[in-house]
Order: sequence, then structure tokens, then C-alpha cells
Amino acid sequence: MISSRHAALAEEDRALEPIREQDLQTQERAEDELIMHLERDQFVAETSRPVPRAALSAYARAGLWALRLFVMLVGAMAIYTFVSQL
Amino acid sequence: MATNEATVSRGLLGAPPLTEEDAARSADRSRVHQARARRRRWYLLWLLVGPGILAMLGENDGPSMIAYASDGAQYGLGFFVPFIPVLFAMSYVCQEMCMRIGAVTHRGYGELVLQRYGRVWGWFGAADLTLTNLVTLVAEFVAIRVGLAYFHLGAGVAVALGMSLVLFTLSGGRYWRWERIVLGLALFNLLFVVAAVMVKPGAGTLASSLSFTPLPGGSFNTLLLLLASTIGATVTPWMIFFQQSASADKGMTPADVAHGRYDTALGAVIAAACGIGALIAGAALLAHGGSGIQGFAGAGFPQALRHVDGSAAGAVFALGLIEAGAVAILTISASTAYAAGECVGASHSFNASPRNVDIFHAANVGVALIAALVILIPGAPLLSIALNANVLATVLLPVSLVLMLMLANDEHLMGRWVNKRSTNLVAIGVVAFVALCGAAYGVDSFLRTIHLVGA
Repeated sequence: MISSRHAALAEEDRALEPIREQDLQTQERAEDELIMHLERDQFVAETSRPVPRAALSAYARAGLWALRLFVMLVGAMAIYTFVSQL
Repeated sequence: MATNEATVSRGLLGAPPLTEEDAARSADRSRVHQARARRRRWYLLWLLVGPGILAMLGENDGPSMIAYASDGAQYGLGFFVPFIPVLFAMSYVCQEMCMRIGAVTHRGYGELVLQRYGRVWGWFGAADLTLTNLVTLVAEFVAIRVGLAYFHLGAGVAVALGMSLVLFTLSGGRYWRWERIVLGLALFNLLFVVAAVMVKPGAGTLASSLSFTPLPGGSFNTLLLLLASTIGATVTPWMIFFQQSASADKGMTPADVAHGRYDTALGAVIAAACGIGALIAGAALLAHGGSGIQGFAGAGFPQALRHVDGSAAGAVFALGLIEAGAVAILTISASTAYAAGECVGASHSFNASPRNVDIFHAANVGVALIAALVILIPGAPLLSIALNANVLATVLLPVSLVLMLMLANDEHLMGRWVNKRSTNLVAIGVVAFVALCGAAYGVDSFLRTIHLVGA
């Protein structure tokens, strides 16, 4: 009884094999088309990878430190102005 | 980022795993490829415009349009009609760089700053942007409220309208849908041009406006404040975050840079035309005590226009204010969402599967909701918040511009798309001028607050 049921399932599986193959091919074709329209570095998998830290020259580092001082100074002024105007 | 997003089988075969975000973006890109292959130039332009126009028209927000109208009512047209296009030309220089960086690197501004220049700059940028955007959004809801007041509608309607738009535009789960809805709304910024036509400016008045003279009167301090605040209304940090992230989210590539430039230039031209429209409409009040209607205290602008030029002009101006506020709410909250997602390292795309963009959507809706709730608080100092929104931006603006310039000159990221020497000459000049004006505005506001200089 069980073996005949197994045989029937195997038969059904064999019958579905070409359809599955066709589905897989269709899916792969669709995915290939999707890939064709995107540049490799546009994929989420690629953009998820962080870019390396910039190697800055001494001048650039000094400039960024000056920018930090500017931010602290003007930031304090802006916050004071904003709060006192409320 | 969205590494946990549902992937399809390609990942197993060695190719990058495809996410729903990739699939949505690829569908949009397929139309661009087809249009380019079939040489359908206008259709290609239609497909690729968006981030530039939205950044420019988003910045023509409620407070900016009231500021232009206020300038017209106080000083007339003479100085500002040529000055506004110059400002938008400077804005174009900055925004073109953002678009180019986004198209070449496919990454947002916040994420690149965080990864290239360290967490301090990345988090500072995102935190200051969020705070500034929150305050600006309050001003946008106030602008909608001012417009609605003309039609005898209250703050509750302003909140419902703004939040409905945010939720509706987010609901589609596609960048393309979001962009097209906001673009459709943004075109109603042209209502300010209609308002300008309706006030029937004389040909002689318009002709005399095509010169930089006379300079607005008043003390040097007044002039500095006026220039700095007008410049601050044209280049802002959120525009930088928004256009770069939106260009990447749209799927733009180096091949699209030329169209990105058209998009940005078109946005600048339309925004300048609409700004001048608001200025001309305001100038109609010059001889009718318009100088008394300033800033948001000038909630009476539409009403004043009705008394001078009839109810239609007032209604058009009021509708323009509602539109300007609404579009700014959508673009500014989107820039907050991009910045939050990029800095936290969460998925940050309108194209991503809704179940993977909790932080992106939460930031988008959350910042708009908080601003909306503020205007419902009885006795909240809305006028002060709206008028001082630009003061907070003065801290971030120079930082954003300098880091953007560094990114645009980063050969590791940009390859052959780095700034050319001629571009750098112009860009450094513009960035230095805008940053100095922004900083001067911040310092001047502080000095006036502590009464070291006269108001």
C-alpha cells in the first residue's frame, strides 16, 4: 500500500520535473534581466560594504580640527540664540 | 544595511544576492535603458528628473516664500530680482556635486561622511540635521496653517493634511511612486508665478528691477542679516543630504550625470521663477504698508493681497503657501529618514521591503509627527521657532559644504568624476561665500541676542 503510494508520488515528481526546470529557467532569466539593468556596485549587497576610511593629509586633518572648533563655537552661539528667543 | 532582506536564488550562484530593493530599482532602470537605447530623449529626461527639482522646490518652502514676499513688500524689486537667480546659480553648483557623488558612489551623503571621515562627523551631521529639520518642519506646518487660515481652517486641518501626505506617499513602497507624487505637488509652487501675474506689475516696474540697485537700505548689520538669511533660504544642509541620497535611491549612474545636471538646473530655474513670483506678489504691497507685514507675523500676506488685488490673488498666494509647506514636509522628512538610516546602518530606501525599513519609515513619519504635535500645543512659541529655524542650520551648513567638497574631490570614491580644476575654482568660491554668510548670520544673531549689536 505504502510502496504503491511512494511510486505514485515519484511518478508525479517525474511529471513535474520539466515544469520545475522551466520555472527555474524563467526565474533565472528574469533575475539575469534584473542584473543587466543595475551596475554591480548598485546592488544592496555591494552598497552595504563600508568604504575605507579616507587617508587625509596633515593639512586636511588640521582643517577638520579647525572645523570642529568652529562647530563648538558657533554651535554654542546658535543654541543659546535659539533657546533665548523661545 | 538590508542584508537580512529577502533574497532570491542568485546569491547561491555567485552573483550578488538580489533584494526586493534591487528588483524595484532594476525595474526603474530597465525603462531608462530602453529609453536610451531607443533614443527617446524627452522620455529619458522625464525618467531621470526628480531629485534636483525636488531639492530646489523643496527649499522654496513656506518660510522662504514668506521671506521673499516680505523682501518685496519692504524693499521692492530692484535688488532682489537679479539676486535670486544668482543665489539659485550658487545653489546649482552645490547640488550638482551632491547629485554627481550620489550617482557615482550609489551612496548617501551621511553614510559616506561617516565611513570616510569618521563617526564624529557622521553622527554630528545626522544629529544636527535632525534637530534643524525638526525645527524647520514646525515652520512648514505653521506655513500650511497660515495658508489654511485664509480659508478659515485651523491647525488641526494643517496637521491632518501634512501627516496624511507623509503616510500616503510612503504607502507605495517605491521610490518612483514617492518621487512622482511629490513632483506633481511641487509643480504647484508655480502658483506664486500666477499670484505675481494676478497683481499686474507694471512693465516699467519690472524693467527697473533688472538692476542690482538700489541696495536695500538700513544699517550694515541689517543688510548682512538680510543677505545671509536670503542665502540661508537657498542652500541648506537638508538639500545636500536629500539630493545625494535620492539620486542613489533612484538608481542614477555616471551615465545619467548629464541628465542629473539638467534636472538640477531645471529645478533651479523653476525655483528662481517661483521665488521671484512671491517677491513680485509681495512688492504689490509696497505702497500699501507692506513693510509692516514681516515674517510669520505676516500671516496676513494673503489677506493683505486680497485687499489690494482682489480675493483671487490672496487665495492663490494662500494655496501656494499650503503647497510650499506640504512639499517641504515631504522632502525634509525624507532627508531625515535617509540620514537616520545611513548613520545607524539600517536599510534606507523607499524601494526596500516595508518590513526591513522600520528605522527609515519611523524617522520619516516620526520627525513630521513631532513637528505636527508642536503646532497643536497651546501657547507654543511657534513664531520664534519658525523665525529662528535658520539659526540652527548655520552650524551645519559650513560643515556640510566643506565635507561635500572633500567628497567631490575624493579620487578613491569618484574616479574620473572628481571635480575638475575649473569646477573647484567656482565651487570653492561658492562654498566659502555661502559658508561665511551662514556663519555670519549665526554669529550676528547671537550678538543681537546678547545686545552687543543693535537689532
